[in-house]
Amino acid sequence: MSSVDTYGFVNAKMRARLGKAREEAVTEALLRAPTLVDAIAALRPTRYAALARSYDQSGDIQSIELVLLKMEIALYREIAQYLDGVEGRFVAELLGKIEIDNLKNSIRLWYSSIIHRRPIRHRSEYLFKEVILHPVDWTALINALSWDGVVEATANTPYHPILPEYTEESLREEGLFQLESRLDRVWYEEIRKATAWLKKTDRQKALELLDQEIDLKNLLILVRYGWYHRLEAKELLSLLLPWGEVFKSKEVNRYIETPKENRSASELLSQFLPDEQRVGDHSAVEEVLRIEELLAQNQKRAYRRLLGGDPFTIGVALAYFFLNKEEFRRIKAILNGKYYGFDEGYIRGVIG
Amino acid sequence: MNLFTKPMRLLTAVVLQQRSDQVVKALLQLGVLDFIHISRLEADQLAKLSSKPSTTNRVVLEDLRGRVEALLKQGHLALPGESTLDVSLLAEPQVDAYRAVLDELTQTLLALKERQKVANQALLGVEEMRRYLAESKWQYLDLRVGSVKEGKSEQLEEKLSPYGAFVEPIDEEFVTVLSLRRDLAQIDPLLDKFGWTEESDPLLQKQAVVLVRTRLETEHQKLIDKRGEIEQSVKRAIAERKEELHAIWSNLRLNELSDQIKSYFSYTRNTTLFSGWVPADQAESVRNAIVEASGGQCVVEWTEATEVPRESVPVAVTSPKVLEPFQNMVNNYATPEYGTVNPTIFVMIAYLSMFGLMFGDVGQGLVLLLVGLFGSRSYRRNPEKKEGLLTRNVTNLLVYLGLSSMLFGALFGSYFGLPLLPPLWFNFEAAVEGHAPATALVRDVYGILGITIRFGIIIIYTGLVLNWVNLFRKKSFVPMLLDKNGVVGGVLFGTGIYMAFGFVGSSYRSFPSDPWIIPTLVICLILLFAKPYVQHFVDLKQGRADKTFGQVAAGSIMEFLVDVLEIFTGYLSNTLSFMRVAGLGIAHASLMGTFKYLQSMVGGVAGVLIFIAGNLLVIVLEGLSAGIQSLRLNYYEFFSRYFTGRGIAYRPVGLKRSSSDNR
Repeated sequence: MSSVDTYGFVNAKMRARLGKAREEAVTEALLRAPTLVDAIAALRPTRYAALARSYDQSGDIQSIELVLLKMEIALYREIAQYLDGVEGRFVAELLGKIEIDNLKNSIRLWYSSIIHRRPIRHRSEYLFKEVILHPVDWTALINALSWDGVVEATANTPYHPILPEYTEESLREEGLFQLESRLDRVWYEEIRKATAWLKKTDRQKALELLDQEIDLKNLLILVRYGWYHRLEAKELLSLLLPWGEVFKSKEVNRYIETPKENRSASELLSQFLPDEQRVGDHSAVEEVLRIEELLAQNQKRAYRRLLGGDPFTIGVALAYFFLNKEEFRRIKAILNGKYYGFDEGYIRGVIG
Repeated sequence: MNLFTKPMRLLTAVVLQQRSDQVVKALLQLGVLDFIHISRLEADQLAKLSSKPSTTNRVVLEDLRGRVEALLKQGHLALPGESTLDVSLLAEPQVDAYRAVLDELTQTLLALKERQKVANQALLGVEEMRRYLAESKWQYLDLRVGSVKEGKSEQLEEKLSPYGAFVEPIDEEFVTVLSLRRDLAQIDPLLDKFGWTEESDPLLQKQAVVLVRTRLETEHQKLIDKRGEIEQSVKRAIAERKEELHAIWSNLRLNELSDQIKSYFSYTRNTTLFSGWVPADQAESVRNAIVEASGGQCVVEWTEATEVPRESVPVAVTSPKVLEPFQNMVNNYATPEYGTVNPTIFVMIAYLSMFGLMFGDVGQGLVLLLVGLFGSRSYRRNPEKKEGLLTRNVTNLLVYLGLSSMLFGALFGSYFGLPLLPPLWFNFEAAVEGHAPATALVRDVYGILGITIRFGIIIIYTGLVLNWVNLFRKKSFVPMLLDKNGVVGGVLFGTGIYMAFGFVGSSYRSFPSDPWIIPTLVICLILLFAKPYVQHFVDLKQGRADKTFGQVAAGSIMEFLVDVLEIFTGYLSNTLSFMRVAGLGIAHASLMGTFKYLQSMVGGVAGVLIFIAGNLLVIVLEGLSAGIQSLRLNYYEFFSRYFTGRGIAYRPVGLKRSSSDNR
């Protein structure tokens, strides 16, 4: 089967949808809406009409977020169906990212309930509780009375061997940050393994994109935890994802080995960003946020470039998912901003 | 209906400034003037004119109108249409007052939505427990029976409410507490505070299960009702202000339109000037309206469309309402040039003929007709109905397609694929399957292919003739005679057809050798080559030449070669393209033949079901294919001969959509 046979139909379908999404300009309409009521009305004539219906019924933004998550999962499954074969399996495997995020959210809720002893009542009902990719027993997890119960709820999944590395005590003392970083790493391990199913061109394209994403994440970790939070070298190294150009580079090694007080984010970033994106070196939250935004924009540009390239590779599907995820993220952020009464300019600043 | 685009006249009017508001209202009411900015005055005259900044910000008006619409949609109320606007109610927009009304209503709604959110969250908490109970997932629930020694059970329930626990009295002494096990660490200390004493009587335990089930059901229903009630309150809150919202919406819209008209106005110290295009048949009513609104203190001048460049005249075409689906097909493609043929009626004839040839069946056509009639009726009865897969336009079109299919079905003698009556023309299916009687007019697929090729030739020639008419009306005589789509192109096409039919007639052995053929071809090619020179000569004579003779000579060879190539390959491919009509028709007949064969193999009820399913499949798939292919042939083979699509659409500003707004 040629790449045109594999991707011809799905490519046309995805492009048509992207074109429609561009025409609808949903996020722009949402941003311009003066209140939440107007923003919800702006959703009605679009492909997000289900969000408005959900709000009509519940009056709750969180219910909208659950609908968006369901839409996102359905999107992956639909494209996986159209692709069949190894490409379809690979796309289905991408759901692992959503599953890990859902797992992290569930563990956070469990942590809040059992460790912090806070009621989680309705919040547990806003979790997606069906099978995403692996048979995680979400209900058992959220109701687990101990960490062992959480571990048991993930039996027969790739997360099961990871969770016993942590104990209730260690989590109580150190929080969830290390565990969540570890779970993120599991996702990259799993998806990199899945690229082996693909044909050579697709494999290369997928690995290239994953490495770009990993580089971006590693840079963010290096700036945020190495420079802003000034973590020790060993701790910082354990957070990094062990793939991509950034991880392998000598500059990063030097940066990590530099005494934490003397690390320079701008010097580090100058190795990986073009001159026009040079950043300052002030120890300020704004600076970190600015760097994060800059890196996110670079990633967005990279995915947009993909759409202009060879239409018959897995890259177009990955770009499609990325752009949709971006739109979902922006919709969530805007609706939350409107709910809290922030003005258009402020929300624009936050969503980038 | 006009066979050509409607004649237009350009109005230029001067009215006293103090009467300009009345004139705006009159023009809004009429809604036939397509305004243009005054620019054809002399420069020194133009310099004396000024424009006035709008007193209202149109963006503000639009935003406010958007907010009104958002509220109406939130209340699931229909938006007021422009047809309900009454120009006599046009008043200065009270932007601040409107904003206050909208803000107040929005705040009311947001408060209600907040209450709805709380109710919904409580409902979710109950639903979780209810689900565990229904699925007997006792491992997640904690049900205990006991007595409260300190305080009252109501107080205990209040304390436990953040955890969604329920306290239900069993009798005067004992109560039961239902909670989630994950909350026990917080609930146990609270129970201790109330002096909770556990009771292990199994009978009480059983009773407790029944009680909490009933309690959960009651609470669940109560919360659903509460959430629903709040949703209704939201609708009521908006419905109560409906009249006010409609009035605000109407005045905002009227002001937007009024501002749009005024944006075209120019001013001297005491007068207002404006200009715009009007269909010639409406010119008198526009003049009367201006005279009346200005109390006779006005000057109205008319300029004929012939006095201005054709490309600057907006194009209005009128078609009867019944032709709307075909008018929409034309509109979707482009706007015809001013003064040229209105293609709607030709599109209708060509489209329906093509569709009928591809999808001729009385029964299946009847299904399309009924779907079209019911769909159109449903839209007519419910004007606010959201358009589905079968849009208003498609349902209207289906009525015509059904009729066309029935007519051709009768000609082919096909009734749901069955030969219930003898064909009026020839049996299509018999010709496809090769068992047509020797006396039949068409006996095989070659005959069908021949019909569609002849049909294609008629369509292409119709396109050419329309092109000649258009060029004649535009006084473009050189292209009319010498262009590849002109008379020369037509003669070459005709000669080609004659040769092709001669070749087929000789059983593909030789081309006809009539003595006129070679001279005709040579003369036509010479004329084609001469076209740029003749055009240059005419341009020189009319003082419109923008090229030197050298440039013309240099371009002429390439132009000639391209034209020749286009004539020989373009006409050939365009003609052969019509074979798809035969192809689709043959596919239609073959599919029906196959389903009939399957039916005869299976027999009985299953056979009937196969027959029905086959017909449905053919109606949906073949109907769709035939519709798309007919559109494609119209757009590419028919329109490309005469339809330049260079016109600009006539877009009058007003309350009502004039008939010519259909372009």
